[in-house]
Amino acid sequence: MDPVFTIAEAAKLIAAKQLSPVELTKGCIARMKAHDDTLHAFILPTEERALADARAAEARVMAGSAIGPLDGIPIGHKDIYNTAGIRTTGHSRLLEDNVPAQDATTVRKWAEAGTVLMGKLSTHEFAMGGPSFDLPWPPARNPWNPEHFTSGSSSGTGAAVASGMILGGTGSDTGGSIRGPAALCGIAGIKPTYGLVSRAGVLPLSFSMDHAGPMAWTVEDCALLLQAMAGYDAADPASADRPVADFVSDIGKGVKGMRIGVVRHFFETDNPVSPATLVGINHALEVFEHLGAAISEVKLSPMVEYHACGSIILTSEAYAVHEPWLKTRFNDYGELFRDRLALGGFIRATDYVQAMRRRRTLCEELKTAMAGCDILVSASQATEAPKITEVPKWGTMEKPSLTIPFNLTGYPAMSVCTGLGAGGLPVSMQLVARPFAEATLFQVGHAYEMAAGTRKRRPTMALAEAAG
Amino acid sequence: MKPKLSEAEFEFMVKQSGLPLSPEQKTTLYDAYWMLEAMIERVNTPMPREIEPAHMFTAEVR
Repeated sequence: MDPVFTIAEAAKLIAAKQLSPVELTKGCIARMKAHDDTLHAFILPTEERALADARAAEARVMAGSAIGPLDGIPIGHKDIYNTAGIRTTGHSRLLEDNVPAQDATTVRKWAEAGTVLMGKLSTHEFAMGGPSFDLPWPPARNPWNPEHFTSGSSSGTGAAVASGMILGGTGSDTGGSIRGPAALCGIAGIKPTYGLVSRAGVLPLSFSMDHAGPMAWTVEDCALLLQAMAGYDAADPASADRPVADFVSDIGKGVKGMRIGVVRHFFETDNPVSPATLVGINHALEVFEHLGAAISEVKLSPMVEYHACGSIILTSEAYAVHEPWLKTRFNDYGELFRDRLALGGFIRATDYVQAMRRRRTLCEELKTAMAGCDILVSASQATEAPKITEVPKWGTMEKPSLTIPFNLTGYPAMSVCTGLGAGGLPVSMQLVARPFAEATLFQVGHAYEMAAGTRKRRPTMALAEAAG
Repeated sequence: MKPKLSEAEFEFMVKQSGLPLSPEQKTTLYDAYWMLEAMIERVNTPMPREIEPAHMFTAEVR
């Protein structure tokens, strides 16, 4: 059986010349060929490119000129990240033949770090409409049980990482699109601080809510990936011109002395989570306390306030992006995307402005609440993954989102798997830090993973002998 | 739930938007409009007049 490595494990073995990037890549390709007909994680596999990248990485390693921990690591990009000469569709008929001339900034940065491009990954249409069955490509499915939903919109990245087809990948998060699939696929995913990671060359959904970030099996792997994508980029108007922190060196230092706040009303009353999700969060808090952290309860405005504000802003901005096509090619979109987005045509300018004013008060509220905390804990999804055919069309509007408060406020937030629920599918928690304190998130998330041992169990599919 | 907005008022908004909706699509969106309507009401609750829009949150230095 071919082992599935984490990025940190693979990097050490590659550096010691005990693991060949070419063999590592061939293992991922074998898993992709065995399982992607079921999972539909890839829109466009790039096998030849992957093998060429892997051979180049191997040559560098053998010559003693390896670039760093991502050299020779198989990755994939959500199909809203522009890739030069490689089709980038947004999982939409409207961009079915779109071949960008330039890489997104983050795609270029990961390539320069030596990553191996395995292909382009499924998304919900334009990072919003899914799971859809009326698009040119089917929706991704959950490796823990392919009858079930991955969440979205970074659905292909979640499925591909959890099944071991790639070791890490890109996602984007406008209302929870990294943390949702990370949660339901049982992996780690971080939405960094607004402005930390360039969005240049990533198809826009909502300018002031969009964040780009990494997804991987472990928190430590997310840190390694984020280190290679963060940094100022003049091509992104929202990019923060400040030095990038070291996200890796505090990993392993534990949580002793940390102050951890729990926003219990978010996941107990505002959007009550499943018993297994609640057990996972409470267990994590016990772990943190045992490791020397101080736990306290934090109260914020009802989550529905954050949700309404975020949804009005997101829908208005996304409508503005898509309005020309909505007016001329409405029925070329999938039903879910076009119906969800069409509502944006009925929001007045003054509603948008009022939402932006309210956003400021909620940002101030969160800043005040976090003055006494290093980390906040909440849930990232309310339940285990539902069946993919039973996802409600208006689900994102019916209940307040557990993730959108931190898109609205720009704070860094990460989903961390806490185990499996009653249905054998992953459950998770959400960790939130102060702006640009991603290193603290990684330090705390890693301490939990090490203490709880949740990273030992993979989906059976990832461990199955590859066919052929 | 039904929207507070009448179907005639909704029809006016559809025309104003310029979206080429079929009758079935209009019905679907009208039936879902109450959720958006509730959000719009929520963001329009009174605020002190000096509160300015958030163009960017204030980043703290760690």
